[in-house]
Amino acid sequence: MLLKISWRNVWRNKSRSLIVISSIAVGVWALVAGTGFMNGFMVSYISDSITYNTSNIQVHHTKFSADKDINIFISNASEKTAHLGQIPGVTGATKRVIVNGMIASAKKASGVEIRGIDVENEQQVTHLDSALIDGAYFEGIKRNPVLIGSKLAEELNVKIRSKIVLTFSDSEGEMISGAFRVVGIIKVSAVNLNEFTAIVRDSDIQPLLGIGNNYHEIAAVTETQIDEQQIISEYESTYKEDLVQDWKEIAPELAYASDMFANMLYILMGVILTALIFGIVNTMLMAVLERIKELGMLMAVGMVKSKVFLMILVETIFLGMVGTPIGLLLGYLNVRYYQDRGVDLTEYSEGLEAFGYSSQLFPYLESSVYITVSIGVFITTIIAAAYPAYKAISLKPVEALHKI
Amino acid sequence: MSIIQAQNIKKTYNADTIPVHALNAINLNVEEGEFTAIVGPSGCGKTTLLNILGGLDDATQGSVEIDGTTITDMRDSDLIDFRLNNIGFVFQSYNLIPVLTTKENVEFVMLLQKQGDKARQSRAMELLKEMGIADKADKRPSELSGGQQQRVAVARALASKPKFVLADEPTANLDSQSTKDLLDIMAKLNKEEGITFVFSTHDQRVIDRARRIVYLDDGKIINDVTVSK
Repeated sequence: MLLKISWRNVWRNKSRSLIVISSIAVGVWALVAGTGFMNGFMVSYISDSITYNTSNIQVHHTKFSADKDINIFISNASEKTAHLGQIPGVTGATKRVIVNGMIASAKKASGVEIRGIDVENEQQVTHLDSALIDGAYFEGIKRNPVLIGSKLAEELNVKIRSKIVLTFSDSEGEMISGAFRVVGIIKVSAVNLNEFTAIVRDSDIQPLLGIGNNYHEIAAVTETQIDEQQIISEYESTYKEDLVQDWKEIAPELAYASDMFANMLYILMGVILTALIFGIVNTMLMAVLERIKELGMLMAVGMVKSKVFLMILVETIFLGMVGTPIGLLLGYLNVRYYQDRGVDLTEYSEGLEAFGYSSQLFPYLESSVYITVSIGVFITTIIAAAYPAYKAISLKPVEALHKI
Repeated sequence: MSIIQAQNIKKTYNADTIPVHALNAINLNVEEGEFTAIVGPSGCGKTTLLNILGGLDDATQGSVEIDGTTITDMRDSDLIDFRLNNIGFVFQSYNLIPVLTTKENVEFVMLLQKQGDKARQSRAMELLKEMGIADKADKRPSELSGGQQQRVAVARALASKPKFVLADEPTANLDSQSTKDLLDIMAKLNKEEGITFVFSTHDQRVIDRARRIVYLDDGKIINDVTVSK
């Protein structure tokens, strides 16, 4: 009957209850939708970086990463690439030649990382062909084709079939240059790839470097929900001599961004729920103050204070229980609607792309967020109910009964 | 046998500033089965005395024993429990729970006593029949007249099978017919079931029906009359 009284008490003043229920629903909606949009930014930022740039796992010689000495190779790179590609959960693996150098057009020169790729295998890993905005994926130019990012192309003022010169040190430490032609221009949100990378065929760069059929890097992509550490352990159980890193180690800034986002969710939740607390406290305090006589009667006829406290608490929880699902549903529908269609932020593309964000936002939420928000609102209602409930049990029955 | 024994009850308000002596050395014994009216002009201390007898208010001095148990030095939580199981209350303005039906209002105190569903429901219906409002069992208080609401309040007061019922000006808001009906019911309960009633009132119609009349003035008992009827 306590539940019945509490539930009916909620609807005693319908308009007041509906206002507070609406504020809970709007707060939850804002929280879910806001989180979905923020998450969309973060997921596309991280997934674009993984897809086009870092991959999930990279293998190097333990000494290569320090100064990227082109004479430090991965031994038996082909065999290791094939092995890594066969580990369950890995969807693609490829090997690369990595060298730092200069890229120069007739107009300008710029520092770049030159990647010599295995054209076919690379497609399974970085899907660069899907990021093409001009030209083709190593087709149409037979001799020394090069793929560059749109930002770099813009900076060098080059287009498809434009001639560019790559300059780097060979294995003997001699400066060497090679003439290449732009075969394709890609556009991705990863700043590194868009602005500071030139992609060439391994078979073109290896002879220029004089490193034979050797490679500096193996990159692999995995299924979405796979724990990279399991794959790394599996690889290391066979090949112990290499440095194997997941994307968080390769690009710690992505891991920081991911952690920062998780913390921002809690900050956003804290701000919205704190605002809700004040609204709920106000409403419940009014509900208590206008029922002083009745509360006095309840205690007079034998209702213990803990039950009076519980009654106010349950009333508040009911308000939350009505408002929260409405807010969750609105938030879900909002996120779902834009999840497929995307939000066009082209107007702000320049600023967003400078930070590595896509100008097309696809909101996304994991189901755990709905649970976290629900728990957050539940805790909020309990906190908000505490003061009005305390006020209720602080009443002396005799004084409350004679309150006019 | 005395069911209520109040000894040397004093109640002073604003003791630290300008003291107002609401009750002054009241001694009152109420025997089981009495139908007692505490009467007097407004502000004479009737309600204060009733509140102290019912354990709703603290006496500044003196002690109250209910059926051999001293309630004046009980802890708040024990007192709430004691009131639930020993005292029935009827208030001037009915004080029913507006969100519950008539039957649920009567059941409420039995629920607090943790009585089972069936026992609660049958006793609630039995009491409502006794009050002549069984047909209003599913109505909310707002759908009842003042007289009917006060009968529900009496039924609620009796639901917990208390040792006595304290009624604070129970007819103050009722018309003549409702007052007569209510007094008939309470007199019948007193006569047939031996339920002890203590009223505070200045309503002559209630005074006329009482079998003991305690006159209070300026916080003191000035007369205590037993009427033979």
